[in-house]
Amino acid sequence: MTAHAAAPPLGHDAPPQGGVGVYTQKVGMWVFLVSEVMFFTALIGSYIILRWGTGAQWPEPRSVLAIPVTALNTFILICSSVSMVKAYAAATRDDQAGLKRWLLLTVLGGATFVSVQAYEYHHLIEKGFLPSSGLFGSAFYTMTGFHGFHVTCGVISMIWVTIRAFRGKYAGGNYRGVETIGLYWHFVDLVWIILFTIVYLI
Amino acid sequence: MEATEHRTPNYVAIWGMLAVLTVVEVAVVYLRLPRRLMVVSLVFLALWKALLVALYFMHLRFEPKRLLYIVLAPLPLAVILVFAVMHGFRGP
Amino acid sequence: MTAHATAASHAAHDDRPFIRKYVFSTDHKTIGIQFLFLSLFFLLVGGLLAMGIRWQLGFPGQPMPLGGWLPQSVAPGGVVAPKTYNSLVTMHGTFMIFFAVMPLLVGVFANYLIPLKIGAPDMAFPRLNMWSFWLMIPSGGLMLASLFVLGGSSAAGWTVYAPLSGTPDYSGVHLGQQLWCVSIVIFGLSSLLGSVNYITTVINLRAPGMHWFRLPLSVWALFITAVLAILAVPILAGAVIMLLFDQTIGTHFFQPDVGGQPLMWQHLFWFFGHPEVYILILPAMGIASDIIANGARKPIFGYSSMVYAMIAIAFLGFIVWGHHMFQSGMNPTLASTFMVSTIVIAVPSAIKVFNWLGTLWRGSIHFTTPMLNALAFVAMFIIGGLSGIFMASTPVDMYIHGTYFIVAHIHYVLFGGSLFAVFAGIYFWYPKMFGRRMSERWGKVHFVLTFVFYNLTFFPMHILGVGGEMRRIYDPTVYDFLRPLQPINVFITVNAFLLGLSQLVFAVNFIGSLFKGEKAERNPWHDTGLEWTTASPPPHGNFPETPHVYHGPYEYSVPGMAEDFLPVNTPPAKEVA
Repeated sequence: MTAHAAAPPLGHDAPPQGGVGVYTQKVGMWVFLVSEVMFFTALIGSYIILRWGTGAQWPEPRSVLAIPVTALNTFILICSSVSMVKAYAAATRDDQAGLKRWLLLTVLGGATFVSVQAYEYHHLIEKGFLPSSGLFGSAFYTMTGFHGFHVTCGVISMIWVTIRAFRGKYAGGNYRGVETIGLYWHFVDLVWIILFTIVYLI
Repeated sequence: MEATEHRTPNYVAIWGMLAVLTVVEVAVVYLRLPRRLMVVSLVFLALWKALLVALYFMHLRFEPKRLLYIVLAPLPLAVILVFAVMHGFRGP
Repeated sequence: MTAHATAASHAAHDDRPFIRKYVFSTDHKTIGIQFLFLSLFFLLVGGLLAMGIRWQLGFPGQPMPLGGWLPQSVAPGGVVAPKTYNSLVTMHGTFMIFFAVMPLLVGVFANYLIPLKIGAPDMAFPRLNMWSFWLMIPSGGLMLASLFVLGGSSAAGWTVYAPLSGTPDYSGVHLGQQLWCVSIVIFGLSSLLGSVNYITTVINLRAPGMHWFRLPLSVWALFITAVLAILAVPILAGAVIMLLFDQTIGTHFFQPDVGGQPLMWQHLFWFFGHPEVYILILPAMGIASDIIANGARKPIFGYSSMVYAMIAIAFLGFIVWGHHMFQSGMNPTLASTFMVSTIVIAVPSAIKVFNWLGTLWRGSIHFTTPMLNALAFVAMFIIGGLSGIFMASTPVDMYIHGTYFIVAHIHYVLFGGSLFAVFAGIYFWYPKMFGRRMSERWGKVHFVLTFVFYNLTFFPMHILGVGGEMRRIYDPTVYDFLRPLQPINVFITVNAFLLGLSQLVFAVNFIGSLFKGEKAERNPWHDTGLEWTTASPPPHGNFPETPHVYHGPYEYSVPGMAEDFLPVNTPPAKEVA
């Protein structure tokens, strides 16, 4: 059925039907992050249920875990979130030097966080605190382990984005890739803010 | 299709707030407050930090409302899951 | 990058190498067809496992035909061993749900139809889409491998309840259960990547004029299904990971000895599991709606209420999960809340059923193969839904939980519902996918055989269940009170085998038509959808020019029109006959 003869001009100039008013990669990343919220809900929710719902035996977290070191590590991750958003701001302004600098700092911050976590694990295992050490051990290692896994994936992605930045892929105000990875990065920071409070402090 | 133009937030100020809130959180723990008060304060502080990251670093403050609805969708479900199961274990 | 600008260039010269075109393809149509072949294969695997189950139930303790080929540890003397039976039951459910029905409804139809029906050249993230398919290969491979490892496959039911599933000392299953867990996590990732694509594509890539309330119900259904998946699958992933850790690194999430909670497994699993069953039925409802409107030559009755009903089903689907746990010893107050919400969810489902009936009323019904299957979907879904009402009531469920009544319900909604809709969809869109038609005559033969043997197989299970026959038991005849029911088991087994054999008709028709089928025209069903305005099969990039949409999705038998259907992209000037 040929229906195009009397139709208005189509093709290259016709805009798609408006969605949420946000570019596609950003929508995709947010939808993905929604699924990640649910994933951490399963883990953190289980912690809450096991600790406060079932009346189980539970040691005082600060008697097992090193709060000062982890507080510092929390601060480091927050700093890397700041450097990430500075990188995004630089990309929007086409400040390529700034973009590269802030991306490198973000990679450094993330890598430091993971290293400190790994060191903390090593220390805890030496002390005899293992995943098999009761419910607390089970939940602690699973939650922080998966968070650390997400940060590691983030660091790897960030390295890739940094390489692309050095190759000029985000020049000319082409900031979308930076913003998209930034959203993932901030999310990982956000989860840690919640984890740190619930697991280490309360 | 683009995010609306907005004035860039003062990221350094947000960073400062996050640093201060983290210090306060740790202080609350070491101050040995009554348990209830400590828990409420920590939850409040953590939520405040999370909101700062979500609204300013993740730009939700400046995005179209429809995106906010997408982002908010999992939260009631998370609450329902944890509350219902807690209730199931602890009883009425 | 405007995806639309490249549509014309893609359609004009498609010079992709063979491996990029047919193997590692980013074209949603190719990916949809890859999912089709993969899931039909797993449908066969699930079906064969079912034959094993039925043999043992019909003729307990008797050597199975071809049973001699199985290893002695699995089937001594060709007789299914009890542990093997548990594996059969588990793996039948696992393969059918995760590797057959979900990929058939979502992997095939979401991938194939969404971009075409909304007027887009492809999905929002074509490379991610490719990954979504290829992750199914290790996932399916690991699940198949688990059948052959020492200790056998998972044998704790497809719901792998803890502590049985997490304790090798109880179940005798070691590696098999771990492979199950890893396979499911990979599957979850595949499902999530796909869902991100479907959601983003429907939100952002609709053609001009394709407003939300002009979307065909199949697209609405697939979109809502994807939202369910995004919210529910990660919970499964989390729970399965905790289970895997319990078995491997010594955690205690579900191990009672150190304070772990087996009941928490059930809560987490069913929080996923209930939305999961809506994932399994909503796309079927959407597909049926499209086909019924087409076959009746009438718009869908109550289009917007159909949309709102699906949204209501999806939302309510998150607050009914406890009805799978009524017998678990759960908190009775909590159980009552689940009873109420479960009874309420019948309402939007009923609205949909009445709307399908309303669509058929005074329609000009064409009994084509897809239409027959879609009508069967409605009728069988009604029966499945009615049995659901019984189960929703906690006091009744106390008696029928864990019996064959539940098995009857499951199969009425999953086979009677989802699978008939899958058949309808395959028969309907086959011409678009492959440029050839399946045989209408053999399609009808397949339909009649399947419909008859399916009902003879599964309806008697309601009777067995109310009679007290438990599910997942190896030999009903060891129980005095079940022995009188054994003739029904034999009857079911015979019909199950005939049902299985009937699928050969479909297989031959499907494969044969790929080579010998009559060449299909662009719009053989005279359908209004956008996919029928482009070639069969569509070129890479789908539409030579971006379509512009002017009408709702079901403009059939519009008064005063020359033709009895109005494609959605017909400009207003051309409407008058």
